[in-house]
Amino acid sequence: MEIKYTIQGLLIYIAIVAYVLAFVTTLLRRRKIAHLLYIFGSVIAVLSFGYRWYAVRHVPLQNLFEVFLCLGMIYPVSLFCRRILRVGGYSADMLIGATVLFPAGFVFNAQPQKLPPALQSWLFAPHVAVYMLSYIFMAKATYQACLQLAGRQHQFPRSGGSCQQKGGSDQKNENWCCPNPDENLLSPEQSTYQMIRVGFVLLTLGLVLGSWWGKLAWGDYWGWDPKELWSLASWLVYVGYFHFRYMFGKKHARINSFWAIAGMVVIVITLLWVNLSRIFGGLHSYAT
Amino acid sequence: MNKFKRTVMWAALTLVILLIFLSIYGAFIGAERASNFFNSLPLAVYWLAFIVLLIVGLAAFRRLVRVPGLLLIHIGCIGILAGSMWGSEAGHKLQKRLFGIDKIRKGRMIISESERDNHVALENNNQIRELPFSIELKDFRIEYYKPQYLQIRTRQGRSWRIPVEIGTEFPLGDDFGTVTILRAFENFKIRIEDGENVFFDDPQPGFNPALEVQIESPGGEVVTKYVFERFGGHTHPEDKFLLSYHRTISDYVSELQIIENDKVVAEKDIEVNHPLHYGGYHFYQHSYDDQAGQYTILMVVSDTGIAVVFAGYWMLCIGVFWHLWLRGILAGIKSEKQIDGN
Ligand code: HEM
Repeated sequence: MEIKYTIQGLLIYIAIVAYVLAFVTTLLRRRKIAHLLYIFGSVIAVLSFGYRWYAVRHVPLQNLFEVFLCLGMIYPVSLFCRRILRVGGYSADMLIGATVLFPAGFVFNAQPQKLPPALQSWLFAPHVAVYMLSYIFMAKATYQACLQLAGRQHQFPRSGGSCQQKGGSDQKNENWCCPNPDENLLSPEQSTYQMIRVGFVLLTLGLVLGSWWGKLAWGDYWGWDPKELWSLASWLVYVGYFHFRYMFGKKHARINSFWAIAGMVVIVITLLWVNLSRIFGGLHSYAT
Repeated sequence: MNKFKRTVMWAALTLVILLIFLSIYGAFIGAERASNFFNSLPLAVYWLAFIVLLIVGLAAFRRLVRVPGLLLIHIGCIGILAGSMWGSEAGHKLQKRLFGIDKIRKGRMIISESERDNHVALENNNQIRELPFSIELKDFRIEYYKPQYLQIRTRQGRSWRIPVEIGTEFPLGDDFGTVTILRAFENFKIRIEDGENVFFDDPQPGFNPALEVQIESPGGEVVTKYVFERFGGHTHPEDKFLLSYHRTISDYVSELQIIENDKVVAEKDIEVNHPLHYGGYHFYQHSYDDQAGQYTILMVVSDTGIAVVFAGYWMLCIGVFWHLWLRGILAGIKSEKQIDGN
């Protein structure tokens, strides 16, 4: 655990605090304030990412510090999911934002690095960026799957939990920035499917771009190395999810949810394998 | 869903789940063993079964053929599997037996500067095979990020990172004086002339990057030091500073020419991420002579099956985009139009 006494570190810590405060405020049902805090945290997260970009002079997606920094800019995804896809989960997104920024702030080394020759490819940025975006969607899918397992039929209680406005007025329908408890959101089971539909396209693109890049850089589009195999496993879990859901529909909704959660578990291992493989000393990994 | 369709789906699910576990197993045994494992005979049977099942699925489920996105996804998967089996070691052997096509699957070439060669050391058994054309290495070079740096540390832990700018005086503060980099060498050598050491940059083959550094203490005492990139850490106990010379490699470049019947038929400066494609092979910048920078090591890979695999990738990507995104977007636009119309 290392504290970063730098502008970069400060920006990360402010964003984490804003996200956590936003979450707590949501629990206190002050949804408007929570929402503003969430936007504020996200703006700081974007600033932090931009600051890093300026400092290293290349798209900052080279190491785990930068990747987690990127994941912290979660707000646009929340907004898109809610407004366009009718999938809620704002409060969970605030926690996801704080959780992914935590390792960037306290665990991973932020020493800037020059791009080694292998990373100097136009495929580098899109490959990592689509993966990160897909991971956010899959994280949201996992949250919805957990809601489904917890027995929730809707993502928001139909009554209560209104938008707290100064002066006591309730402007549910006019106020765009405040999540509306009466919004017609999808059920958790449908939301999980919706999130995986979006995330899977990005996951496939990430896998294919990575493979293409491997072909250009190392001569093999598939090298069977541990990171590749974990990423294949996570992709296959979602392939399994689609086919299982096609076979049974919502009959075994709980098993559908388990598939989604299993996908996220494998994604986390994929993302952290290089580090985990050091913990499991002796295991062969290209990073050791 | 009838019984047959249900059986097909269960079989598909079983193969997918099996592959998840095999991939995780592969991740634990390391890339080399995993590669052998996934190319073994039992796995070849598995891959074939997967292809057959995809074809059976396409035949059994009319929607898989009728819905364009689903068709692209599943045919794309067949393409990827079939293309990679065709391009594998076993695939190459089969092609030799069936069609007499005798291509090298994968190997390495070592070529010295200004020389040409067509010998390839095979990756799997180190046998030497010949290409039907030769490759000439005009030049090999390593490129570095600029600026390069001289790192200075005191025994108390203070440190400075000084950009290598010849002749520029760099102040270290009142307590430590100044540092000036006087010369940079690519291939540092010493000769003795009239009993004196003469330090010079040797144009002959060799690789010994170094810096000539002048340190002036606050009292005006001047010392000259030589700092070597490849032999860092030489200090005397009385030395106040620990010096090291760092350069970060930005690229490896091999200037290649392909020679066929004594004529130059292709030419390219290959770098990491920019291979050369000629005569059914890709040539990659793989490694180099790290002692003298006099030769390059190329990786030679057959291009058999690649086109099919990449066509499969395209189909898969377009298919998932079409089926999982585009249909939803179009449905959304349609329903919005209907609401507007009402
Ligand atoms: C192993 C043989 C396979 C069979 C027999 C099979 C069969 C099917 C069937 C019957 C459907 C449902 C079509 C419908 O909506 O009516 C389907 C959907 C789908 N399959 Fe496969 N499939 C196989 C392998 C794969 C693989 C390897 C992938 C990898 C990308 C894949 C990706 C998909 C996707 C993305 C869907 C759409 C899911 C949805 O709309 O919710 N399938 N497959």
